[in-house]
Amino acid sequence: MHTKKLTWPNSAWAILYKDLLCEFRTRYALGTLTMFTLVTLSGISMTLAGAAISSSIAAMLLWIILFFCAMAGLARTFVYEQEAGTLFTLRLYANGQAVLAGKLLFNILLLQLVTALLIPLFLIFLNIEVHLWSQLVYVLFFGTVGVAAVATLTAFMVSCTNAKGSLFTVITFPLLLPQFLTAIAATGQILADTIPGWNECFFLAGYDATVIAAASLLFDYLWYD
Amino acid sequence: MNHRMSNIITILAAVGVIYAVFFIVPPAEGLGEKVRIVFFHIPAAWVSVMAFVLSALWALRYLNTHQMEYDRKSATAAGLGFFFCLLATISGALFAKITWGAYWNWDPRQTTIFILLLIYGASFALRTAIDDTEQRAKISSAYSLLAIVVMPFLVFVIPRYYFSLHPSPVINSAAKIAMDPVMLYTLIAALLVASALFRQLFIYYIERTRRRDLAQKDSPEGGGRL
Repeated sequence: MHTKKLTWPNSAWAILYKDLLCEFRTRYALGTLTMFTLVTLSGISMTLAGAAISSSIAAMLLWIILFFCAMAGLARTFVYEQEAGTLFTLRLYANGQAVLAGKLLFNILLLQLVTALLIPLFLIFLNIEVHLWSQLVYVLFFGTVGVAAVATLTAFMVSCTNAKGSLFTVITFPLLLPQFLTAIAATGQILADTIPGWNECFFLAGYDATVIAAASLLFDYLWYD
Repeated sequence: MNHRMSNIITILAAVGVIYAVFFIVPPAEGLGEKVRIVFFHIPAAWVSVMAFVLSALWALRYLNTHQMEYDRKSATAAGLGFFFCLLATISGALFAKITWGAYWNWDPRQTTIFILLLIYGASFALRTAIDDTEQRAKISSAYSLLAIVVMPFLVFVIPRYYFSLHPSPVINSAAKIAMDPVMLYTLIAALLVASALFRQLFIYYIERTRRRDLAQKDSPEGGGRL
């Protein structure tokens, strides 16, 4: 049998392609996340019943929806592999860094899709006008990348435990809080038509870079026995 | 020096520091008698940060060596760090009530310490959810290291971005110590005693865990939780 050794980037792309293909066939994660978004958003919008809310409260609601959407779907990347029994095969064929990169890219892509779906609906339902679009995109992008980075590592951790679903939110939320608070503050400023300071922008990007580097360093310890 | 002797010395030193805090330290300008809480609050916060850093260092050693002794040390240090962090939170809340009028007002430093409690509370929940001893040690070590990477963002970044009612650190950015000498010496003594207290408790819990692990290993069922 002819076997071809994949390089690190090719392995990562292969894992991303595999996850995208599985997702395309089942549409489980995207479907769950989309419905979760719609349910939460409609719940909030119906409760408010058109009442005006301040920009900081709107920002808080937006990030709470995003966070819980992420918690509803991102753990699946590794939990599914564990339940299907394919984690061992993945261990045989790919190195840890390639698996982390592939899974991280998949989670980032998934969260970006959900965010792209959520934002127009959120602005329409809550009757909010945005004028600083580029700043909002920056904050949303770097905010969700941080969520995906931490969630990818914690998803692997919970895949080895007995309490997968509930524990995922419990262990991910505190690690994300520093970035979560900054993202809410920056989004609140943007919705109030104020450009956020460099502090917030650097913080979001710096946090992402730090947690991705930490995840990369720690993942090999977890991946290899 | 054996453990019992160092216990006695630590208790005597603690009594000495408590005496100094209540009978030697003069009332502070503006704060009056309320300043005495500071001599419990700062050492508790110092010990908790020291314990979390030690926990992370031992977690890293565990990941590199796979010796269970380091996991035991890391878990014990994290547990004690959590306890001292809780003491710092309670003493801080009391100080906030006396000086600002409310126990809790989400001041950046209160937010920071609250997130720290959440992180380490979550790490204990993670530990209890894994049955396999080695898997538990490996995963909680990785989580502990991830927590220590996030900690600088909490401890150093957030309080500096938002307005805080919390007083400046004793050793501030201008590298000047703005404190009465008697207060300063008492505070240094309190820090040393709190560190010694941490050491004694750490030795006690490590020994207890080691004995329990050995007993479980010798028992017919074997294995078991830490």
